[in-house]
Amino acid sequence: MIILEDVHYAYDGLYTALQGVSLQIDDGERIAIVGSNGAGKTTLVKHLNGLLRPDKGRVILDGVDTKHYSVAELARQIGLVMQNPDHQLFLDSVEREVLFSLENLGYSKEEAKEQCDRTLNNLGLEGFSERSPFTLSGGERKRVALASVLATEPRVLSLDEPTIGQDARQKEKLARMLSDLNEKGKAVIVVTHDIEFVIENFPRTIAMANGRIVADGQTNFVLSNDDVLEMCSLTRPQLTETARHLHAVFPEVPERLTLMDDLEDVVLRVLGGG
Amino acid sequence: MAEISFLEVFQYTRQDSVIHRLDPRAKLFMSIVLAVMSLLFLSIIPLLIILGCLVPIIIAAKSLRRWLRSMKGLSVLLIFIIIFNTLLSTQPNPFSHSIALTLRLIALMTSFSVFFLTVHPDELSQALIQMRVRFEFAFAMSMAMRYVPTLGQEAYAIMDAQKARGVELDKGSLLKRIRNIVPIIVPLIIVSIRRALSIAESMESRGFGSSEKRTYMNVLRFKKSDWIVVLVSLLVLIFVVYVRLYVTLPSWLLWQFGI
Repeated sequence: MIILEDVHYAYDGLYTALQGVSLQIDDGERIAIVGSNGAGKTTLVKHLNGLLRPDKGRVILDGVDTKHYSVAELARQIGLVMQNPDHQLFLDSVEREVLFSLENLGYSKEEAKEQCDRTLNNLGLEGFSERSPFTLSGGERKRVALASVLATEPRVLSLDEPTIGQDARQKEKLARMLSDLNEKGKAVIVVTHDIEFVIENFPRTIAMANGRIVADGQTNFVLSNDDVLEMCSLTRPQLTETARHLHAVFPEVPERLTLMDDLEDVVLRVLGGG
Repeated sequence: MAEISFLEVFQYTRQDSVIHRLDPRAKLFMSIVLAVMSLLFLSIIPLLIILGCLVPIIIAAKSLRRWLRSMKGLSVLLIFIIIFNTLLSTQPNPFSHSIALTLRLIALMTSFSVFFLTVHPDELSQALIQMRVRFEFAFAMSMAMRYVPTLGQEAYAIMDAQKARGVELDKGSLLKRIRNIVPIIVPLIIVSIRRALSIAESMESRGFGSSEKRTYMNVLRFKKSDWIVVLVSLLVLIFVVYVRLYVTLPSWLLWQFGI
């Protein structure tokens, strides 16, 4: 369990990025963080593994203030994949790149190999293990960077914009992999602008604006709230848009819907006449 | 980043001073004359005199504090030079010789820092162009200077990304720390090459090099003060070269530490 208590942070002490963020992340949760550019999303996730330390406030992991841990110690429990994969990759094969993270965190050789193969398979990188990461396409490099952290199966995994440059099939694979991890009791946190990805995969959404949390709750509530969408410069989810149009004709269809199942139920009810 | 703080003195600082307002070409000439002077002498007193001329220029450029900070950053290296030269030199008076060498290094650094501290990269490339350097080369040079800070930021981002994978950058034996540089340096080089290629592509897509003859919005012109600087520098240069070649220096100028 991670608790953030009134976390404030300003880059170089000048450029305010977080002004009083408090939240609790339980084991096994799936959380999406949304918000406009510069809202403080990346700054927030960098606080989880100690890359940034709060100017004011505390980050508490299982009851202990994380200021007592180094980033490497926190990395064993809290994985973070950054936006730009090129900042991570430096070895000459995809496999060694993934093994490097595992070895850093103290996995034995056999365990590491097994874990590595499994992760590469799950992310559709099975034929790539001997390839040099530098010869891969942007989207593939992104997946290698993801694999290198995903393989370590941290208790809390945070991903900064993981869906950028990924086609629909890869997104599905990623979603499946995240839900597998989640079923093992790991918490997954994703920073993203991809609202459909959020709706389909993340039950809880945190919306940020100007370094503050403006909404935190069930995804279908948060993302069907026009004020929140406005503050986070997001467009309405397609399903909500559809629900609105239906609402204009059939008032019994609620306006604020984000889930396909709910919409189906409502439409069936309307068509069934009662 | 204390180790590289001495480089600060070669980084342009936006300020308004007599020195900043001079034409870059005049400043380049002045810097070269000052550097040549420090290369002509290898005795303590003349080098101190040269430094005595340089420090007021730095003060006039409102950069004394920055200069002092850089010198502090450099001090470790300077002490090394003094110790090793004193121990290993074959000169008759090794200590005085190594002190003179250190003073010369300081004087050389300071003379070029006067130039780099006060010339904006754009001004520099404009100066080069007006000195008949081809535009492409001048542009490449100012681009290189422009990207130094970006590279620094990139290095920090890479360190963060590697730390997040459990690399302990500031722990372990010396050998381990040296090996830890690899995960930083390799991505840094790759990212830079990738960026260079994409900048080149985007520049070409925006029509870089499409017209043979370029015109410039700001053209540098010599003012009266620039001519004075060039003239004084030239006179000093002639005088110093003359003294070096034809005058036997009085003994107090060649003073050394007693053995």
